Amino acid sequence: MMTVRLKVNGVAHEGRCEPRKLLVDFIREDLGLTGTHVGCEHGICGACTIMVNGESARSCIMLAVQADGAELMTVEGLMQDGKLHPLQEAFREHHGLQCGFCTPGMLMTALDFLRTNPSPSDGEIREGISAVLCRCTGYQGIVNAVRAAAATLRGGR
Amino acid sequence: MKPPKFEYHAPRTVDEALALLGRYGGDAKVLAGGQSLMPLLNFRLARPAALVDLNRIPSLAFIEESGGGVRLGAMTRQRTIEFSPVIAQRVPLLKEATRWVGHLPIRTRGTVGGSIAHADPSAEYPAVLTALEGEVVARGAKGERVIKAADLFQTYLTTNLTPDEILTEVRLPAMAAGTGYALEEFARRHGDFAIIGIAAVVVRDGQRCKTARLATAGAGPVPVRLRAAEEILERDGLGEAAIDAAARKATELVDPDSDIHGSADYRRHLTGVLTKRALVRAMGVARG
Amino acid sequence: MTDPRSVGSAALPRLVGARVARREDPRLLTGQGSYVDDHRPARLLYAAFLRSPHAHARIVSIDASAALALSGVTAVLTGEEIARASKPVRAASKTPAVKVTSFPPLALGKVRHVGEAVAMVAAESRYVAEDAAERIVVEYAPLPVVTDMEGALEAASPLVHEEAGTNLLVAREFARGDVDAALASAAVVVRERFRFHRHTAICMENRGCLAEYATGSGTLTLRSSAQCPGIVRDVLSDLLDLPENRIRVVAEDVGGGFGAKASLYPEEIATCVMARRLGRPVKWIGDRREDLLATSHAWDEIIEAELGLDRDGAIVGLRALVTADVGAYSIYPWTAAIEPVQTISFLPGPYRVPTYRGRTRGVATCKTPLGPYRGVGRPPAVFVIEGLMDRAARRLGLDPTEIRLRNFIRDEDFPYKSPSGIVWDRSSFTGSLLRAREALGYDAVRAEQTQARAAGRWLGIGVASYVELTGIGSAIPVSPGMPIATGTEAATIRFDPAGKVTAVFGVASHGQGLETTLAQIVADEVGVPIEDIRVVHGDTALSPYGTGTYASRSLVLAGGAAIMAGRAVREKMLVIAGHLLEADPADLVPADGRLAVRGMPDRSVTVREIARAAYTGAKQLPKGLEPGLEATRFYDPYYGTASNATHVAVVEVDRATCQVSVLRYLVVEDCGRMVNPLIVDGQVHGGVAQGLGAALLEEIVHDDHGQLLSGTLMDYVVPSACEVPWMEVHHLETPSPVTLGGFRGMGEGGTIGAPAAIANAVADALAPLGVEVAELPATPERIFRLVARATR
Ligand SMILES: Cc1cc2nc3c(=O)[nH]c(=O)nc-3n(C[C@H](O)[C@H](O)[C@H](O)COP(=O)(O)OP(=O)(O)OC[C@H]3O[C@@H](n4cnc5c(N)ncnc54)[C@H](O)[C@@H]3O)c2cc1C
Ligand code: FES
Ligand code: FES
Repeated sequence: MMTVRLKVNGVAHEGRCEPRKLLVDFIREDLGLTGTHVGCEHGICGACTIMVNGESARSCIMLAVQADGAELMTVEGLMQDGKLHPLQEAFREHHGLQCGFCTPGMLMTALDFLRTNPSPSDGEIREGISAVLCRCTGYQGIVNAVRAAAATLRGGR
Repeated sequence: MKPPKFEYHAPRTVDEALALLGRYGGDAKVLAGGQSLMPLLNFRLARPAALVDLNRIPSLAFIEESGGGVRLGAMTRQRTIEFSPVIAQRVPLLKEATRWVGHLPIRTRGTVGGSIAHADPSAEYPAVLTALEGEVVARGAKGERVIKAADLFQTYLTTNLTPDEILTEVRLPAMAAGTGYALEEFARRHGDFAIIGIAAVVVRDGQRCKTARLATAGAGPVPVRLRAAEEILERDGLGEAAIDAAARKATELVDPDSDIHGSADYRRHLTGVLTKRALVRAMGVARG
Repeated sequence: MTDPRSVGSAALPRLVGARVARREDPRLLTGQGSYVDDHRPARLLYAAFLRSPHAHARIVSIDASAALALSGVTAVLTGEEIARASKPVRAASKTPAVKVTSFPPLALGKVRHVGEAVAMVAAESRYVAEDAAERIVVEYAPLPVVTDMEGALEAASPLVHEEAGTNLLVAREFARGDVDAALASAAVVVRERFRFHRHTAICMENRGCLAEYATGSGTLTLRSSAQCPGIVRDVLSDLLDLPENRIRVVAEDVGGGFGAKASLYPEEIATCVMARRLGRPVKWIGDRREDLLATSHAWDEIIEAELGLDRDGAIVGLRALVTADVGAYSIYPWTAAIEPVQTISFLPGPYRVPTYRGRTRGVATCKTPLGPYRGVGRPPAVFVIEGLMDRAARRLGLDPTEIRLRNFIRDEDFPYKSPSGIVWDRSSFTGSLLRAREALGYDAVRAEQTQARAAGRWLGIGVASYVELTGIGSAIPVSPGMPIATGTEAATIRFDPAGKVTAVFGVASHGQGLETTLAQIVADEVGVPIEDIRVVHGDTALSPYGTGTYASRSLVLAGGAAIMAGRAVREKMLVIAGHLLEADPADLVPADGRLAVRGMPDRSVTVREIARAAYTGAKQLPKGLEPGLEATRFYDPYYGTASNATHVAVVEVDRATCQVSVLRYLVVEDCGRMVNPLIVDGQVHGGVAQGLGAALLEEIVHDDHGQLLSGTLMDYVVPSACEVPWMEVHHLETPSPVTLGGFRGMGEGGTIGAPAAIANAVADALAPLGVEVAELPATPERIFRLVARATR
């Protein structure tokens, strides 16, 4: 067993786990933050995507022990002061989710993508969100939502 | 799909890491970005006794210009490469190839050393290393050695690195200003490994082709340097007929395998198609 | 136009038809959903299954001692042990067309497909459970493997189920008129052997369940990622010999279903048995490998079909033989018949088909069982009939839209009885095609195609029109002969004394947004703001009797029940309000969430006051009126209703790589009265994306030994945002004449039309080569081969 100390959404946590424990399982089981989902455990679907030290990464192909000392952000940390993040607002407005299972990973991916490309074309949005598989929406509502959120974020809140 | 048990070490220096690898005598595995190794562990297709995690060795993450080339520490992230001005300027082919490696969240973790050491024949970086005639530096108990691209890749997922060696550095010659380059790739879904990829580099001298470099991804168990096709271009220039001849030649130079994504015939066909596309685009970029 | 809310005495605005943002979104967007795996009760044990590495083998022995010796392992269950605690599942059938076979929860005696569950481990973590599963030693004696569906019908073939005496589990025929004579005298006959390969749903949430058995009260609670909690509850009662009132099945948030979560699965039974045996909660969360191996697959059919037409392009007859590889087991409750019978039933499409003979065969092989998946049978059926229509059009020199217009069931033909006995109510077959032509700018796109062809480009336009039966009532089984009734749904609408509404349904939303659409309906019927309504679904302990969400039924059936219950409650509200206001209920009108006496806005009561009165009794209620303010109503649409659409795809095939790109995609659909266009669009988008995957990318591949070759999401290629085109969706709203509210079901349609439209577009693109597309998915590899053969 090893000790893992990290910050998630600004809150410090400490836990003990086997070295083999996947980061996503640590977040969900040991920290009780179940917003981050598991869809494939081999890096393809993107449902488990979180922010690690400010950059998006798959938490199913990272070990919890590797996150010792890291700052993570999960979907639970996206809301600020009780208000939905512009991405969350836009997903709702544009029907960017149905079953909601891909949504946390999609939001984290879109957040990182828009930081690297604040004014994307639709083609670039599709490329950016192709990191996450969604089986429900056909992506159209998501593309619309990311485009709208980009505009909001560019304009300041 | 949970990994089997293993011991875990996160050394701070390469020496420490090498000592650990030595201690496990071939039963330990190096963990870099984990974007290939972790899925294998989750499927329990890899069962190392221990993981030696290189992520806490700061000396392995760097991009430096030196002499006529660029040196990249093995733990340099693909994402860092994607946004590096040095790479964009000195080895733009590597930057272009990086956009084809998985997706942004994969590139956040994935490393240049891991991609090359993993030696997936469909991966982009091994093709780029091959096309640019780069080298890697490996360190082991017996010291350091430099391995040329042509000697590195043995077969599927196998390099000539020994289990107690660590790939520490990747060295790529700088591409001279005006060098034409392109990476053309065909995958069924964006971000997936290539069914076929072609890395092309051309140095022009008027209508003549001073140097041509072509390497494949996905066309066999290792990246294939298409030397006989390059020679056609170096001899006949970069006219349409020469490019067609080179593309045709390329299909003869590869011996791909079949899998559920594409038969050997189809892959061979694609090798020709993409060689042509890569050359045409590389020509468009080339000056001189 | 004036906003109704701004007018003092007016009612609340009607919500049915409005683009209301979804009410489930805030929790799902903030990571506060409640999926099965989010639950972690005290003393929880984690399960893992050992699965068969063989496609067909006798189990000689199982030795679990090494697994049980591992620290952290609580128990191991095998087929023989579970057979003592649960009956095997037998998807019974009332029709002799189906041979009934057993589906044991854990393999008993032999394994019949790779990935079949052989043993179950319960341990302190999933990690340890997997370690233990690896340590179970099973000795197998391999048997000859049956993988080819046509070979499986030969007399010499090994049998998958000895008890059946044959691998032919399903055989059925539909006939109308003398099709042989009609085809013999037809001016044109087109024929083809079509192949639609194996597919699977890939819900982003893998299947999973969590069982808890309360030994004190003898009650079993199963949380499951199920679409049909009611069906699961009913069958568990039988299998486990527990009364239904002691079983609660809960499906809160479910991460997609698409039909694949609408069946009972072995893991659900095993998890219940384990929890009951140990008296501890047990959770099994399937991983993606298990999902690809052991969640039902779809389609996998060979369809030989012939269509005869007269000189004017009118259909004179259709003859077809469907052969489906139904895999190793007959899935509960749908049986192995669901896919092959549905295909043959819907083959005639929206056309007047005067003579028909459709035969269908469902053949057992050593592969994962076939089950319902979005569209069930109709995606292959539409691929076939629409492919034949295009072939006929080419032969007759007709435009593909023209040949369809000549053959559609016309407005004056409704209600029209199809050759397989389905009755189509008034629909917009012709209307949807005409609208699609117009919206696309059909002639302009054809002109563009001519130019593109001249320039050597392979550009194609594909049209597919279809009709589906949705919202099926009690007169028709969703799957022929299946053992259960699915023709009704119920709604309970209940006011609390504070005037807020809880609406409870037996359906189980898993992405369709029913919490929103049903709330819209309730809001309109009851006359309260949507914010005051909470919709509860997917919990058999809370809801009136219902089965769940599948077969494009929920909005039609639950929506109908909501209307009925809402009206009943509303009536009672008026009576109470009339009493409180000393006025005739008929004189009451809605006013800003209150009820007022007509013309006297000051004489009014609030909903809250009415609700409080309903529970206060005494003088607050008219004499003899039962207290309380709630109603439960059951709705049975009896036959069900039609939904139809026309899809158009414009594609380009890359001459060099043979890759298909979809340049435009257009849908004109008619789901009757729309409750929420936002959600209708979303369902169409998602359905088309899945249909596109089926047409171009996704394929379950086995080798000759029955080993799964597409066992990862790298190898089973689900489309990403880059492969799915922009979709234009247009709506016709022909209210259904036969359902309450005029609704028609629409959850599956996108997936029904897309494979055919795309296949036809690819064939049209390649028409100059004389190439037909008879096999889906049309992968670049397959197109490469077609082109190579044509140009050689
Ligand atoms: C969804 C997805 C899509 C992907 N798509 C692509 C793609 O299109 N193209 C592509 O090229 N890759 C792709 N990848 C793989 C990704 O690029 C990996 O980063 C890369 O293959 C391995 O790099 P890594 O740093 O993650 O190495 P790891 O996974 O950590 O290691 C891989 C192997 O290399 C060994 N190794 C790593 N570093 C060293 C070292 N310094 N010395 C000695 N041995 C070492 C490890 O022991 C292991 O055996 C994809 C991955 C995913 C999950
Ligand atoms: S669960 Fe991590 S990528 Fe699918
Ligand atoms: S909303 Fe269901 S997978 Fe994306």
